[in-house]
Amino acid sequence: MINLPLPLIQILIGLIGILAFVGLNGLVLVYLERKIAGHIQRRPGPFEVGPHGILQPLADAVKLVGKQLITPKGADSVLYWAAPIISFAPAIVCFLPLPFGPKLTNIDINVGLVLILAFTGLNVLALCLAGWSSQNKWSLLGAARDISQSVAYEIPLLLSVLPIMMLSGSLNLYEISTSQGAWPWQWHIIYQPLGFFIFFICILAETNRAPFDLPEAESELTAGFHTEYSGMGFGLFFLAEYSYMIVACAMASILFLGGFNGPIVSGWWWFLFKVYALLIVMIWLRWTYPRVRFDQLLNICWKWLIPLSLINLLVTALFIKL
Amino acid sequence: MIFSWMHLAIMIFFLAGVIFATAPILASLLIAPKAKSPALFQPYECGMSPHGSAWVRFGINYYFYALLFLAFDVDVLYLFPVAVFYPQSTGFMPFFEIFIFVLILFAAIIYFWKKGVFTWPRRIKV
Repeated sequence: MINLPLPLIQILIGLIGILAFVGLNGLVLVYLERKIAGHIQRRPGPFEVGPHGILQPLADAVKLVGKQLITPKGADSVLYWAAPIISFAPAIVCFLPLPFGPKLTNIDINVGLVLILAFTGLNVLALCLAGWSSQNKWSLLGAARDISQSVAYEIPLLLSVLPIMMLSGSLNLYEISTSQGAWPWQWHIIYQPLGFFIFFICILAETNRAPFDLPEAESELTAGFHTEYSGMGFGLFFLAEYSYMIVACAMASILFLGGFNGPIVSGWWWFLFKVYALLIVMIWLRWTYPRVRFDQLLNICWKWLIPLSLINLLVTALFIKL
Repeated sequence: MIFSWMHLAIMIFFLAGVIFATAPILASLLIAPKAKSPALFQPYECGMSPHGSAWVRFGINYYFYALLFLAFDVDVLYLFPVAVFYPQSTGFMPFFEIFIFVLILFAAIIYFWKKGVFTWPRRIKV
């Protein structure tokens, strides 16, 4: 019997739980997305595989693994296959500092917020490599768009998070959660409605969701940066996108909506409820709004979101001092 | 820097992410068909044979947005420690300091606005 130190056991149990959570969530979100899309367009969505098509995402996953992996001629094969892995691996690290419940945190990290912001930034690098290495003009255009978009929206994202740090005086996500009360009027969103609005727009843009899905705009760029990827290469980009969506919604619910605090009994159920409510809003937005033009997309950010978030920051700083 | 459990946890999680991502690709290599045909490995270009290499030059505007980002992001990072300490600070001096800092940031946007970067010109006058 090997004696493992207690924190190591804690980390490993957390790791297994998170890997299971990420895998399961990928399936649930694919199903939710297709089902909601179907009902918004007045059709039932997936219906044949299992009751109400509930086994459809599982069948899709098996199909993706069974597809041939194709590296296009003239592509940089090392970078080409490294890209989906680089895209997915940091997503797992982002789950590390998330407090799922009052007793359900992995390990206490005092810079959890910075850790998540840093590792979500790595996704841009992966998409850049994918677009450049696949020797395809659509991919290259998609990558160029993705970089300027993610990079632009990173700034209002950071600026809308800053007032929350000022209010709670901490970078620890657990402490930020506990600095808010159980009832909705005790959450940070009451003090930061504009901040929440900006943050939500930014996470839509950062995770390449419609109406800001220009890097993979299927009607103009075929599939953008992942045009050339077949089978599991595409599957991994997809899974990474869904994982980043969960991380982003979890961040929004921790920073603005009280995290695991909720009326009556606080716990992980409130956290999951908030995360899934935000995810459903994201999916709902995708099937409601048309896509914006690319220069409009960047100008919304530079002309509106950044000045507004700077003003928001200053007003918050002033109010804390008053 | 002291190596703590946090660093180990980040490493383990990153490694697990790499393994979790590589496993289905390896599984795919084992069970997927391996068809070979010259047309199969052609880059997709609306069904035509590709016209030249894809590694070409593209719009300079993207580069300007990237420059603008660099100027901003480094400055915003400096605000992180300031924001954490801010509630414990005393007096109005910290507020004025943040105000001046943000004002200078604002000047950068106005400069680029005046230069016409946001109108996507063919050529930007320096």
